[in-house]
Amino acid sequence: MIDLSAVHIDYQTVLPELVVTGTIVVVLLLDLVVPPDRRRWLAVVSVVGLAIALIASIPLWGQHRSAFADTMAGDSFAAFFNVLLLAVTILTVLISPRYLRCVHLDFGEYYALVLSAAAGMMLLAAATSLMTIFLGIELLSLALYVLCSFSRLQEHSQESGLKYLLLGGFATGFLLYGMALIYGATGSTTLLGIRAFVTSSPGTNVLLLLGIGFLSVGLAFKASAAPFHMWTPDVYEGAPTIVTTFMSVATKAAAFAAVGRIFVATLPSLEAQWYVPLALIAVLSMSIGNVVAITQSNLKRLLAYSGIAHAGFIFLGILPGTTDGLAASLFYIAAYAAMNFGAFAVVTALDAKGEHADELTYWTGLFYRRPFLATTMTIFMLSLAGIPPTVGFFAKLFVFQALVTAHLWIPLIVGILTTVISLYYYLRVIVVMVTVPEGAPVEREGVGLPMTVVVGLSALGTTVMGLVPQVFGWALQATRF
Amino acid sequence: MIPAYAYLWLSGILFTIGAVGVLIRRNPLVMFMCIELMLNAVNLSFAAFSRYLNSLDGVAFAFLVITVAAAEVVVGIAIIVQVYRAGRAMDVDELDLMKE
Repeated sequence: MIDLSAVHIDYQTVLPELVVTGTIVVVLLLDLVVPPDRRRWLAVVSVVGLAIALIASIPLWGQHRSAFADTMAGDSFAAFFNVLLLAVTILTVLISPRYLRCVHLDFGEYYALVLSAAAGMMLLAAATSLMTIFLGIELLSLALYVLCSFSRLQEHSQESGLKYLLLGGFATGFLLYGMALIYGATGSTTLLGIRAFVTSSPGTNVLLLLGIGFLSVGLAFKASAAPFHMWTPDVYEGAPTIVTTFMSVATKAAAFAAVGRIFVATLPSLEAQWYVPLALIAVLSMSIGNVVAITQSNLKRLLAYSGIAHAGFIFLGILPGTTDGLAASLFYIAAYAAMNFGAFAVVTALDAKGEHADELTYWTGLFYRRPFLATTMTIFMLSLAGIPPTVGFFAKLFVFQALVTAHLWIPLIVGILTTVISLYYYLRVIVVMVTVPEGAPVEREGVGLPMTVVVGLSALGTTVMGLVPQVFGWALQATRF
Repeated sequence: MIPAYAYLWLSGILFTIGAVGVLIRRNPLVMFMCIELMLNAVNLSFAAFSRYLNSLDGVAFAFLVITVAAAEVVVGIAIIVQVYRAGRAMDVDELDLMKE
């Protein structure tokens, strides 16, 4: 029986989530009174709310709080992801108003939905119970289903939303069934309880392993890792580009927060059992993502496959089952956030102006039309390919190092080989951009101050983050559960 | 009294019917119903485990699942209706604007 007096209401642990939820309500109410031509104020309010939540996350650093009957954690791990997710959301909201006006989608609900998705992601990062993990995943998914089909009169967007909804619901079914089996096997829904059960009764528990298997399917789907990646290219291509920018980075980060908490913090003693399936997911993601990306002529699809490959690289850090390996994954996630957000932001900037800006042919000679965007895109591509001194190189270095320490040679070899393959398509984008275009140059247009600042910040993060040793130190400290 | 494993078998069978349904049916509405069937199979599991373990966590979880499933229906039906209104075939194999 549940003893209600034991449930300690600890508001500080959930303060960042509460602030974001409060901002959702404020934005929805403001949307009723703000005239349509002043909708950018909703973006301002959202940014203020997100910034307050970001500040409220910082005190959680270094703490070991456990709140609401062990269902939520207020620790460095949660603080790390809160700061990362909130920063990504703030940057997304900053570049949203101009893009939304250009594509005639300037509705107030957009901001409420982005904030809901962010709240779900933060909940997922702080969740230490199967219930809160489930609620976090669903909160972010439901908001993203709507955001994907936000351009509701456009058939590509409708199709994107429908595909994400059906496949996402399917994955949720597996995730939940896995949770039910884990609950049945261990008698607990909290990760602490599950950990206590696993350490006290070793030996093979078929029900538990089956449950973990189903749960991994659901999480791998959200992280868009192979072989559960089929939805990614279609959904990324069809969704409004700003939504793709947001979800490609934030959803993946949040999903890996849950993966880290479940596999590394809760089930390290079962590493022998989960190593092979997770290694398969990592190897398949890197191979399929990097090989199929070569054939893509649409930049959004190319980046979707690149994202699948990077999910594989992030999984590499999980494989050793140690907190040091997880720290490498965390650093990779932060690096991926900077470089991939930047790359998609550049696509967004172009997409707001031109028809079919996501087709690679549109990018021919971009250096002569948009030198700033082309230069930053070059930085992002080099970083995604893992070329020093960008952060992408250090991220790959750290996960490979974790594999060497753990003597896991096969994933390491696949990782290095597929990195070499990936050079081809990342460099191809750069080659396309420097190719001299035929005919008269198109007139140059500005992309607006917010976009310039956001793309510039991403580029700065991509170049500098790897050279600042503190960042990896933070990742290390965040994994001290 | 019906033993606990009977409920678990039933739940497993219902879940399989739902999963197979999603894979072989092509009408998005029917696929969506199959997903709901999967979720309800999970609820049955939770309730059965909850009774068997004599803990209330499973029942609480089932309530959460029911609530979330309701929210998912709201979003899901809205998206499906939008596709239907655009005059497109109710067949996921026809929704292939983005295949390469």
